[in-house]
Amino acid sequence: MIDHYDWPGGREAMLRFGPATGPVVIAAMPLFEEANRSRAFMVSILRALAERGIASVLPDLPGTGESLIETEDAILTDWTTAFSSLTDMLSAERPAVHGLALRGGALVDVTARLATRWQFAPASGDVLVRDLLRTRLAGGEKSPAGEAFEFSGPPVELAGNRIGRALLAQLQAAEPAARPPLRVVRLDSDPLPADRKLAGTPLWRRSEPGNDPALAALLADDIAGWIAPCAG
Amino acid sequence: MLPDDIAEIDATVRGVLRDVLGLSEERVAAFRSETPLFGALPELDSMAVAGMLTELEERLGILIEDDEVDGEMLESFGALVRFAATKANQ
Repeated sequence: MIDHYDWPGGREAMLRFGPATGPVVIAAMPLFEEANRSRAFMVSILRALAERGIASVLPDLPGTGESLIETEDAILTDWTTAFSSLTDMLSAERPAVHGLALRGGALVDVTARLATRWQFAPASGDVLVRDLLRTRLAGGEKSPAGEAFEFSGPPVELAGNRIGRALLAQLQAAEPAARPPLRVVRLDSDPLPADRKLAGTPLWRRSEPGNDPALAALLADDIAGWIAPCAG
Repeated sequence: MLPDDIAEIDATVRGVLRDVLGLSEERVAAFRSETPLFGALPELDSMAVAGMLTELEERLGILIEDDEVDGEMLESFGALVRFAATKANQ
């Protein structure tokens, strides 16, 4: 079901899944091109949660999806503010609001008053910015060796998105939310520490968008088990 | 570097190519040292190269600078494994 939420900078769309009562999970998508590649996968996770009787919402962030704000005008604090506003709105209607973040989504829920956080393959901002800047190579634009990227100036086109340099500068310094209660799940190919590792493919890297319903179901089970003790 | 490490890096590079390019397990298992990559694999366009390098960085815990990326390291599977092994050994 399509719905909306308000934040101090405007109004954004969101999708609601699952029952109209009980705890709710807010999903934070990966950023930029990784989001396009993971959207079907995220929706599979949220549908699997709904089958387990758990409600969720998938919000557009300012400057993404249906937002009236231009992508190039978005800054990270818009995203964290919008996410916090949505959390507060849902807290008023639900017994508990939990966070679910994929990849760079873990940089977006940092200020939200969430009951718990669950992250899949969280990525720090410098890794994401590095990957974005590397896509300039793909445009045939050989970045001059040793020359640092300029974080001020006009928006820059990276992997098909026009992105503000202020956003890149903020992301560069951003780390995934680390406030407990926190559970981190990663792919078994990822050497970084995690509470649980699962076999699977990093869909956010695939040039052709894909899906993995079996992994989505496993993750939904993990989330359901994680939030159950806190369910109101 | 121990032979075990080389074998592990070989397997990691195969896994990255499989996952990023969406290749089958059989196809990457058949890669030999001299198997040509860039220019020979249609899936490996320049956008996929960027994703592949980032995924290699994450899985091997290495950093690859843009100016280290050249045609030579992408020429063959063996060249890519040697590049990754050199970086992992630094």
